[in-house]
Amino acid sequence: MIKNKTLLVLFRLVLGGLFVYAGVVKALDPLDFAQNIRNYDIVGQSLSFIAAVVLPWLEILAGLALAAGVWKRASALVISGLLVFFIVLTLVTIVRGLDVDCGCFGAFGREAGLGVILEDLGMLYLGLCILLAPKKRSR
Amino acid sequence: MSDARRIIRQALTIGVLSVLVAAAVHFPLVNRFVRGEFRETFFSRADYPGIRLITLQEAEDLWAAGETVFFDARGAGPYGEGHVPRARNLPEAESRQMLPADVLKLLRERALVVYCEGGDCQSSLLLAKRLHDEGFKDIRVMTGGWEEWKKAGLPEDRGDDQE
Repeated sequence: MIKNKTLLVLFRLVLGGLFVYAGVVKALDPLDFAQNIRNYDIVGQSLSFIAAVVLPWLEILAGLALAAGVWKRASALVISGLLVFFIVLTLVTIVRGLDVDCGCFGAFGREAGLGVILEDLGMLYLGLCILLAPKKRSR
Repeated sequence: MSDARRIIRQALTIGVLSVLVAAAVHFPLVNRFVRGEFRETFFSRADYPGIRLITLQEAEDLWAAGETVFFDARGAGPYGEGHVPRARNLPEAESRQMLPADVLKLLRERALVVYCEGGDCQSSLLLAKRLHDEGFKDIRVMTGGWEEWKKAGLPEDRGDDQE
């Protein structure tokens, strides 16, 4: 468990910033992102659309809250939950042998593979450090 | 224990707020979805392995190389007002009757790029799916469409369809 406050603030800024960025590039082109989701061949047309509209804003709001230090643990919980979901999704995609753009960072997306999982695991580590950081004493 | 509850409640609030903000920001899109659009727009890679979405830069490179056939999926009116040079006009609604069989056969071996107006237009994707069903194996959809092409100051032609 990391106790260093400066390090935790840095983690919040990095992770929050990454999520805001990832959310903004997706929110700019929700239909393109919907196609990305559809490529995973897990959900149908309508759910792809709904997820493509909502998910970027979940990333943006959770990222903003985390970076700003508002509801730190709650936003870290949302982000960690999303990361666990992305990791499982990527694993399933690899096992199914699908060649799919991960859709992670808009134009900077790449194939959903081991690299993406490692990246997500790195971010999950930051998220869990924030989520499980010792509570500050009230006095 | 109450701490955990508070965190979960806040996390759920973030979720609810995201839905509300998303619905507000993308209201025009959501409205179109509620009216029945986007139910056939997105395709499964397994069903349509020959279709790829491309950026303006990729489309420009393909156009400059001159090997790829461009199709404009808009109607004859907007096409006449301006289109990608050498692009054929193939309005999505008429795409079944527009191309004679010998042309289809000739083009089957070549890569195609399809586009429509841009923004959230759907006809290029629908045309791409239709062409895929016709047997075309390499179809790229320029998602930015004519709007993006024109905005970038790339070459344009006016007037009727040309061979």
